[in-house]
Amino acid sequence: MIDDMKLKEVISNVLGVSIEEINDDSSPDNIEKWDSLSHINLVMALESEFKVELSPEDAMDMLSVKLIRMILEDVLKD
Amino acid sequence: MGKDTLNKLTTTIINTPSDYARASREIEKSVSLKNINICFLSSYTSEVLNPYIIVELAKNGYKGSLYYAPFNQFEQEIYNPDSGLYLFDPDIVLIHSRIEDSHQNLMMRFAKYSDDELQEISEDIINRHKKMLDGLRNKSDAKIIVINFGNAQMTEDCFTSSPVIQSQRTYIQNLNRSLLELSNKLTSCYVIDYQQLFDHIGLNNCIDPKLFYMARIPFNSSAQIEFGKIISRTIFAIYSSPAKCIVLDLDNTLWGGVIGEDGISGIQLSDEYPGNVFKTFQRAILGLRDQGVLLAIASKNNINDVFDVFEKHTDCLLKKSDFSSIQIHWENKASSIEKISQELNISLDSIVFFDDSPFERDWVRKQLPSVKVIEVPKNPMNYLKALNESKFFDRLIVTNEDRIRADIYQQEQQRKSALNNSVSIDDFLRDLKLVVKIGNSDDVTITRIEQLLSKTNQFNLTTKRHSSADLIKIIRDGGKVLWLSCADRYGDNGIVGVAILVETKHRTWLIDSMLLSCRVIGRKIETVLLAEIVEILRGENAEELYGHYIPTKKNQIVSNFYKQHNFQSTDKKNNFWRLNLKESSIIKPNYIEIVRND
Repeated sequence: MIDDMKLKEVISNVLGVSIEEINDDSSPDNIEKWDSLSHINLVMALESEFKVELSPEDAMDMLSVKLIRMILEDVLKD
Repeated sequence: MGKDTLNKLTTTIINTPSDYARASREIEKSVSLKNINICFLSSYTSEVLNPYIIVELAKNGYKGSLYYAPFNQFEQEIYNPDSGLYLFDPDIVLIHSRIEDSHQNLMMRFAKYSDDELQEISEDIINRHKKMLDGLRNKSDAKIIVINFGNAQMTEDCFTSSPVIQSQRTYIQNLNRSLLELSNKLTSCYVIDYQQLFDHIGLNNCIDPKLFYMARIPFNSSAQIEFGKIISRTIFAIYSSPAKCIVLDLDNTLWGGVIGEDGISGIQLSDEYPGNVFKTFQRAILGLRDQGVLLAIASKNNINDVFDVFEKHTDCLLKKSDFSSIQIHWENKASSIEKISQELNISLDSIVFFDDSPFERDWVRKQLPSVKVIEVPKNPMNYLKALNESKFFDRLIVTNEDRIRADIYQQEQQRKSALNNSVSIDDFLRDLKLVVKIGNSDDVTITRIEQLLSKTNQFNLTTKRHSSADLIKIIRDGGKVLWLSCADRYGDNGIVGVAILVETKHRTWLIDSMLLSCRVIGRKIETVLLAEIVEILRGENAEELYGHYIPTKKNQIVSNFYKQHNFQSTDKKNNFWRLNLKESSIIKPNYIEIVRND
């Protein structure tokens, strides 16, 4: 299982939004600072915090908090 | 808030991208760090470096504000006076055109080129950089940092000792040499060696293909952190002056063991382990001396035991004469350091203390908080690393004066001991056979003049820190920038004085700046400089000369300078002084020979 607090903390650090503002449906559509550059920054931060290596496809599919959690759990399972 | 931010940065561990992102946001809110505007021109997505540059700069007390030009827009930004670059008004411009981005075939298909083609490409690359640097320098006073070319990350041939790879590496080295020559010709232009990044963490550990192919980012997050450190360290070195002196302990610092107990044959100092660790450290200390750092000793020992080692131990690379000041006795080390500071005439904040004993380091930290104390690791094999990582001795240029500085201080000691034998001060000075040379600033001397202006604190009437660009403007506007060098029977001191003169109204001149390096104070050289100023200005038909004195914490020594030379005070605060050139003269001492370098 993914540590939900840790996940929100990383997103909050990288995107510069408070933890309270982050929920499962948070995505580039409703968080203004989540642009393409911060998306790359987020991918790098997730790789480093959760000690995983993500493929370009994984990285591109991580388009909401819910999807990030699913993909991370999937990668960690393997 | 600034102090808190700084404390937090030095006490919390920051080593992941997420930590850096959070810390850089906190720094952006801080108000009291000193701001530096940095413009980054690059051939890739350099924005990802932002948190790393910001956090690493803040550790040294600076707040970086960065403007990233769109990638590959070098010429557009530099040649257009209304570009984002000039609107941003940068203090620093970073230029990084990766050769992998501009010449993909050169890096991946090197073998296909003939020698003539290679020569042509090399000329193209260097010409392009020359045009960019000249264009930038003509429009902006910003300091320029160019990042040079690194070895290929991807080639058709991965066998590193193959002739193709070897000639490709030589080719890159030659490009880098030309680039360095180019930037040395410009004022305030510095080069970062890009290869450093790969040397630190390995060429193969630098890249994340996903980042490169998806986002044009040529390095992974650990390489980004490392590159942020390299860039910030260079920026910090531009804004700070290197420490002037290192004060060293002896036992378990310059050799293993305790000389008073182990004796000359028992201490560890040799070509075998563990003696070779200390011998190597001694060689590195001599390397600092070569770059102009003064060496001093603060040790609790019997002085004769120590001198025995210097004279008789064949593996002791350091000799007594390499040290500019020696304090060996049983008094506390804080007072030793104070004595060294007085003897060498340098302030405590320009001194670094290196001692293996935590007790001595704590004592010095508490007694003399402005002295820079290196946290010396327990294992002597890590001494060198600690010395390097302290950054206290980082310098971007080494001048001729730097190379001979330690020798000059040694000559000064010989002079002082001669002084003890002399009858009177006048006799002593006569015996020194002083020769003073005075000339106008030119391309060769301007770097040294700028250096003296930036670091002279004591014998400095106005402490104005003019840059070489300011000096060029003063000369263009009709002012005079003079240098003074002096030699005596013990050796040549090089350029040690500066005077800047400007005409404020018709036939009225002002001494905007006047300074002398502290090592030549007390020989009436200042009187000679003033007398020469008067003569030079009479040649310009000047009638009145004003002197300006701006008091600081450190320049008390010159508070009466103009009064002693018969200038009249013109204001209550005694800041401006006047000399009527038609009525008064400055009397020169007759034992100094004066040469005009016209």
